[in-house]
Amino acid sequence: MKIQRTQIGYLIGGGLKENFLVRLTISSQEIQEGAFVVIESGYWNYYGIVTDIRLGSTDDRFADERVDLRFPPDLASALQGQALYANIEVLPNLMLEVGPDEASPEYKTWRGKIDAGLADTPRILPVKNVPPHHSIVSLANEGDIAEIFGKPEEEKNFIIGYTREQNHPVCIDLDKFVQRSSGVFGATGTGKSFLTRLVLAGLMNHNKASVLVLDMHNEYGFDDVASDTKKNVQGLKTMFKSNVRCVGLGAGSTIRGNQVDFNLEVAMDDISTADIETLSRELNLRETTPTTLNALYTSFGDKWFANFKAMNQEEVEVEDEKGRLKKVPHPDSVAAWAMQNGVNVAAAVGLQDKLRRLFNKPYIVQKPAADSVLQIIQSLESGKHVVLSFGEHEQDLDYLLVSNLITRKIRNAWEKKTNEFRSHGKAEPRPLIIVVEEAHKLLNREMASQTTFATIARELRKYYVTLLIVDQRPSQIYDEVMSQLGTRISGWLGDDLDIQAVLSGLSGREALRGMLARLQPKEEVLLLGWGVPMPLPVKSRRYDEAFWKEMGKGKKSKEQNLKELGFGN
Amino acid sequence: MTNQIEIGRLLRAGTTGFIAGCRVNQLNLPSFGALIRVPLGDGYQVYGLIHDIHIDDDGLVKQLVTASNVSDDVLKDNRENRIVPVEMSVLAVGYEQNKKIYHLLPPRPPLSLDVIYLCEANEINQFVSAGRFGYFRHILRAKELPIGELFATHFKQVKAVNKDSKWSKEAVQELMTLLRDDYPTLMSILGALRDIVE
Repeated sequence: MKIQRTQIGYLIGGGLKENFLVRLTISSQEIQEGAFVVIESGYWNYYGIVTDIRLGSTDDRFADERVDLRFPPDLASALQGQALYANIEVLPNLMLEVGPDEASPEYKTWRGKIDAGLADTPRILPVKNVPPHHSIVSLANEGDIAEIFGKPEEEKNFIIGYTREQNHPVCIDLDKFVQRSSGVFGATGTGKSFLTRLVLAGLMNHNKASVLVLDMHNEYGFDDVASDTKKNVQGLKTMFKSNVRCVGLGAGSTIRGNQVDFNLEVAMDDISTADIETLSRELNLRETTPTTLNALYTSFGDKWFANFKAMNQEEVEVEDEKGRLKKVPHPDSVAAWAMQNGVNVAAAVGLQDKLRRLFNKPYIVQKPAADSVLQIIQSLESGKHVVLSFGEHEQDLDYLLVSNLITRKIRNAWEKKTNEFRSHGKAEPRPLIIVVEEAHKLLNREMASQTTFATIARELRKYYVTLLIVDQRPSQIYDEVMSQLGTRISGWLGDDLDIQAVLSGLSGREALRGMLARLQPKEEVLLLGWGVPMPLPVKSRRYDEAFWKEMGKGKKSKEQNLKELGFGN
Repeated sequence: MTNQIEIGRLLRAGTTGFIAGCRVNQLNLPSFGALIRVPLGDGYQVYGLIHDIHIDDDGLVKQLVTASNVSDDVLKDNRENRIVPVEMSVLAVGYEQNKKIYHLLPPRPPLSLDVIYLCEANEINQFVSAGRFGYFRHILRAKELPIGELFATHFKQVKAVNKDSKWSKEAVQELMTLLRDDYPTLMSILGALRDIVE
């Protein structure tokens, strides 16, 4: 039986370089930019998205004159569509051999050849040729979308949204999603946090990878109230209960009155000199800092932070050989240490002054009550997810220091596990996704070379750790990192540079650029990148009770259900 | 057999059109834009559209128009018994052979004094519904003719015998397709059609 689709026009020109040109047979108001269309031609279907809608006329004079005023409605409407028309531009993305109509006798022959191995099994391919003139163009139906983006009932597929015209569900393949670092972008107020919650809930529900959320603004763990609708929003902890462990920064910290599972304290010995160097901009450190830090490390090893903190800046009076009183640095002072170790005294004193902001942080302690970083690692290894809330320590300084430090340790742990798996045949590490809010603070051009995040983004999945970057200023993120991102989910972006950054490394950038700028400011997102078969704007799924219920239940395939009931093998 | 309405006889002919003559007292029947046919025997007949009706003068008329006090009898006699016929120019738009209608130029024109008949309702319907408006081609080619008025009258005639508006809609669409790049001609035709739309 022939598949029913809503026909919208026919192909009149174009090519692979400049997109396909389609004459609309429906009103130009019945189609939207970004619509997912199918071009049927012979045994092949071509899939693409509408990137432009343009009005045209066979002669400018037809367009200049108001035909509706000059002619009766019958004649005027006949002119529309003939002398006056609308064309759409379609960015072709994929093609698929669908064969003859299933009801036709040719279908059997065609299928038979494939089954007998005489012909290749049809699979989705990038568009490599062009359908002939006048091929019929239709809106994609639910089946087409499932064919390309995956069937919603399959466990690995997560419904991220719905097509804008016909509300067909669009999925992302979570198995593919976790294989490379990904990004969620959008200007402030475009529902980025909700989108991230959706994706995180999907990932946690799928449960093939552990998730560590660096929750700078305490949004994800516990229930919250939406800033615009003032409605209650369920947190990940409520949804996934004991599978999500909420960690608060600093001893005894609570998150909006909620008790956390455990607290994170940073041991002074854990802070490396490299961690301080990444804070150069934040602490306004001078060029001499690396030298001073190096000397500190040489003097005290891992204990450099504690020792440096303990130093004072006092002076003592001593009597010189002529009996005069003279002020000299206190033996426990920075200056005394600097002089002993050949470090510029002013530089060392200056550094200590600047590090005072860190020395005063209550979560940095000599000896933490428990090794909470290890606890986090163990939770993640055992398949739990961790939301690290920064509580009241919401300053950039806290975020940069703690995120860097934790990520460095976690990555080291995963690197070790991966090497053990590869060399000694130990258990395969569980994939881990680190969710980074305000990513431009950690992954800007200046920081990228110094932080572990850039390394993770670059090495893909080599050590089973990937990033999920959440940001409103993608242009501030180092382009080498941006170009490595697999799946990109972007809400509305106004800034040209941000748009350019999100589209970096993708084909058809020009066409997608306008689409991104014209997304609805709320609840519309563009799916892009390696992780999705083709770019597509969708209405994002609602983060509401129905969703929470579904996530709570978990999605199991029919086969799994049968297996659990004792059927099947 | 229906009542055939004879409107004149052929004077001169060519492949693209011909000229017929009739008496003045026959002149109430043919009209501008009317579809006519010329049966030529053996199931072959030529179709045409009247695009011009003209009356030439003769020597006597020239004298009479300058004379004063011409009696009604003289006027009547001159009109009814004049030797110069009323001439109708016809555009060939198709032909019928072996009961099949073609919107092509006739293979051979009618001969002198062949009788010309006005098409009746069913004949009009048959002719205009055959094929896909191929005869519009012949009308549009005749640039020197008042094409807009010819189409308007033709549409009116078809409308009178065919109450179904489908034909009109499709015909307008066809005209627009043919003339989409020819703004002046299309606008002149649509302007004329506007006047026949109720």
